[in-house]
Amino acid sequence: MAINKKLASLLFLLATVSSFASSASFSDPDSDSDLVNELVSLRSNSESGVIHLDDHGISKFLISSPAPRPYSILVFFDATQLHSKTELRLQELRREFALVSATFLANNNGSDAEKLFFCEIEFSRSQTSFQRFGVNALPHIRLVSGSTSKLSDESGQMDQSDFARLAESMAEFVEQRTKLTVGPIQRPPFLSKAQISVIVALIVIATPFVIKRILRGETLLHDRRLWLSGAIFIYFFSVAGTMHNIIRKMPMFLQDRNDPNKLVFFYQGSGMQLGAEGFAVGFLYTVVGLLLAFVTNVLVRVRNLNVQRSVMLVALFVSFWAVKKVVYLDNWKTGYGIHPYWPSSWR
Amino acid sequence: MVTKKTSPDLLNSFSFKSLKLKTKQQELLIRVSILGLVYVLAFIARLFSVLRYESMIHEFDPYFNYRTTLFLTEKGFYEFWNWFDSESWYPLGRIIGGTLYPGLMVTAALIYWALRFLRFFVHIREVCVLTAPFFASNTTIVAYFFGKEIWDTGAGLVAAALIAICPGYISRSVAGSYDNEAVAIFALLLTFYLFVKAVKTGSLSWALGSAFGYFYMVSAWGGYVFIINLIPLYVLVLLITGRYSMRLYVAYNCMYILGMLLAMQIRFVGFQHVQSGEHMGAMGVFLLMQVFYFLDWVKYKLNDTKLFQTFLKITVTSAVLVGGIALGVGTASGYISPWTGRFYSLLDPTYAKDHIPIIASVSEHQPTAWSSFMFDYHILLFLFPAGLYFCFKRLSDATIFIVMYGLTSLYFAGVMVRLILVATPAVCLISAIAVSATVKNLTSLLRTKQKIPQAGSTKGVGSSKSSSKVTLDQSQPFQKNGAIALLVGVFYLLSRYAIHCTWVTSEAYSSPSIVLAARGAHGNRIIFDDYREAYYWLRQNTPTDAKVMSWWDYGYQITAMGNRTVIVDNNTWNNTHIATVGRAMSSYEDEAYDIMRSLDVNYVLVVFGGVTGYSSDDINKFLWMVRIGGGVYPVIKEPDYLVNGEFRVDKGASPKMLNCLMYKLCYYRFGELVTEYGKPTGYDRARGVEIGNKDVKLEHLEEAYTTSNWIVRIYRVKPPTNRL
Repeated sequence: MAINKKLASLLFLLATVSSFASSASFSDPDSDSDLVNELVSLRSNSESGVIHLDDHGISKFLISSPAPRPYSILVFFDATQLHSKTELRLQELRREFALVSATFLANNNGSDAEKLFFCEIEFSRSQTSFQRFGVNALPHIRLVSGSTSKLSDESGQMDQSDFARLAESMAEFVEQRTKLTVGPIQRPPFLSKAQISVIVALIVIATPFVIKRILRGETLLHDRRLWLSGAIFIYFFSVAGTMHNIIRKMPMFLQDRNDPNKLVFFYQGSGMQLGAEGFAVGFLYTVVGLLLAFVTNVLVRVRNLNVQRSVMLVALFVSFWAVKKVVYLDNWKTGYGIHPYWPSSWR
Repeated sequence: MVTKKTSPDLLNSFSFKSLKLKTKQQELLIRVSILGLVYVLAFIARLFSVLRYESMIHEFDPYFNYRTTLFLTEKGFYEFWNWFDSESWYPLGRIIGGTLYPGLMVTAALIYWALRFLRFFVHIREVCVLTAPFFASNTTIVAYFFGKEIWDTGAGLVAAALIAICPGYISRSVAGSYDNEAVAIFALLLTFYLFVKAVKTGSLSWALGSAFGYFYMVSAWGGYVFIINLIPLYVLVLLITGRYSMRLYVAYNCMYILGMLLAMQIRFVGFQHVQSGEHMGAMGVFLLMQVFYFLDWVKYKLNDTKLFQTFLKITVTSAVLVGGIALGVGTASGYISPWTGRFYSLLDPTYAKDHIPIIASVSEHQPTAWSSFMFDYHILLFLFPAGLYFCFKRLSDATIFIVMYGLTSLYFAGVMVRLILVATPAVCLISAIAVSATVKNLTSLLRTKQKIPQAGSTKGVGSSKSSSKVTLDQSQPFQKNGAIALLVGVFYLLSRYAIHCTWVTSEAYSSPSIVLAARGAHGNRIIFDDYREAYYWLRQNTPTDAKVMSWWDYGYQITAMGNRTVIVDNNTWNNTHIATVGRAMSSYEDEAYDIMRSLDVNYVLVVFGGVTGYSSDDINKFLWMVRIGGGVYPVIKEPDYLVNGEFRVDKGASPKMLNCLMYKLCYYRFGELVTEYGKPTGYDRARGVEIGNKDVKLEHLEEAYTTSNWIVRIYRVKPPTNRL
């Protein structure tokens, strides 16, 4: 046992000495600061501070300058040919990545800003680097910290959950791993200041004209039909649960887990719904209501008796079917079996 | 079923046309008796909860209301108004008088005192339990008058009948749900009715009434913000569509100014009417009214139209500019506060989800799926578009109002489930218009045919129009059987509605949620009364100054029933304090112990459904504790408790989850228990998995009490060990 221990400590000593020697010999402070300066200048060329690297840049900044480096690099792996696949969300993530980078730059001056660089590499132009990193699925973001020596080391990989909340969670990841602060994400305002001022000016100029027309009573706003269709639309929008779809970001339909070719349009369970299901039911609601209005108000103008009769029959049939369908769907969805209460002696 | 009766009874009365005076008397008699029946129906439909369970207060918030009402009746109004409650939000305390809407409590106390004065010696609890049904009955009367105002008496009666049993309203007003909404919907509808009446007549007295209605609403519920935004919006629409009139000017100015002054008397609302962004729309419209009036006056004085046009442009532009600058300066200087989160989340519904977990976590703040609409409105949804169409056919100031009320509230109902309640009166009224107008047309047609059998079908339009005065819209030239078929259809729908409402009220909306009911294996009812068991245990077995820590949902109940001090409760005014509790629940036991020591906690109470399969327990709420805790203390991170984005409690759960305080307290000794035949020990029935950590050891806490079905578990926090 004792010999073993000794051996181990000796090995450990050797290892430390050699690693010290290697780091002393390779990481030359001058060349490091050159590299940093070059990165800084590259960064200043891009608006958001994301450096576009190719195979050459990767080998220069990451391979030929071994660990420990004085900087970390966060790499975003991009592929233009996959931009058309929306489910990967590459472009959105790339924008968010740029946001994190810009925020980091805005909040860090001086030495801290030189410790972390945001880079991206593109697949068609840097296939070798993709192989070196061992990346074969996108989206992929990886942090190569100063101490990482092997590029294929996947410990710096950002998890799916780390970009689930977009820039905010990316920033958290960076802060956690590098101990640098990114700060609150500064998203660009929806309208720039110039745009806002132009819009305000337009409104102010337009106001007197609008008021004039209003006083004369000749705007679109005086058209009843427009208001009516707007009202019906709001009704449809609300009862179809569209707000639910927007807030929860519900998909229109799901794929059946057991049978991928089958699509699921209706979700069982109250309090949740899929997009298409809401619209279908909302449509049924609206149709019945409008048919009632149509039958009692428009159909009467029709002079032809046969047309009247047939239209009314169709209307009755459609309404009956729609009500039946909706009630059935509701009972199925909520799992309630609604039934009347009869006096117990009737049973 | 009164719903079915309303319209035919009304119409029968028209057949006695020859005797004018007598007909009117008959009609009045029928109308009053229908209203009386509807009044009773609205009350008794809400008694299902008392029948099925017992006369008790429901849910969470009502327990606070009950506790304050009790205080009010015992100590008097001034004590109540100045009450500093040291039993909640320990160690901060809460100023009750300044942080509640006193309308409900004062109403219940007045009813109680009135009954005592009349020598009916009832317990205050019974008064509280029956306040909601009583006010629901009153709402039907207001709905009748409202319907009469916007359409006719028939629509009023139908509206009263519909609203009496509409599940959307019943859900918040069954006997025992002693909450602000119980009286607030009455106040809301009353205010709207009086305002519409004021606009119609231009009379100061109606406007004054509306201002008082508004005052009552402000005193009762925070939802008054809806009124103070809807009414200005309505006025604005009237202005835009060229319906400005002196009547409108009188009604709005009187209502706004008086209502504002009155509302300032409520301490919780205070100066918000002139300071908060949510109320600025009303003030802007008020100023705009003055500009309109001024312009009218100038137009009257100036005879030159060209001169007036120039003057108009200058005035309007400068008025808009001045208003904009004032708003900008006010907001920038901090005099006008920005919108609150709840209000903002209505306009931008995705806001709350991203920014305010404490709002997003409440189940009644979830967005509404179509099935909830169907459940709460049933056939009213089908009738609503038809009603809209009828309203647009006969556009007046009143119908514009009801259409706007209906649409805005429906939109809000889509954003938050609980706001279905606010939309219910509007949906009932508009649907009532559809029912009443349709039925009236059809039956008048039937009667015309009987009288003039020789009338040709092509001439139908003319004949029915000329012969019956009751017809309001273009009548139908259908054959008799067509009309009969339609009528049968309508009555079929109405009867389905009655069946649906009765069933829903009895089965879904009468549960007090403090006593749980389940169906046993043989179809028998099993009652779980664990909550009250635990609270009474606290009351009888702990020192009176004991501090109990639990998640905020149970705070009101613990103070009201257990009579013990709590750290946080359902009045979620201090996010940091709640986050501290959330942090303690989601930390390891020794870290949590330090937090509990700093808050002087003696007992910890958790709700656990693993034995009974009760799904709204603390484990299922746990992620919200993590989120809310993490929102203030970044050491708590949601991903630590998830495995691949999934929340699990079984063997695959994350190590932090398996060892956090909440997990330990819920599953302590659970590993020894067999819950279901044929399953291993420690099988969690609420989540349907075998738990991951069966050997839970507690170091700083000890089990004090677990209720018979394990739903509530109480732990004692041990004092620190001796220093060595």
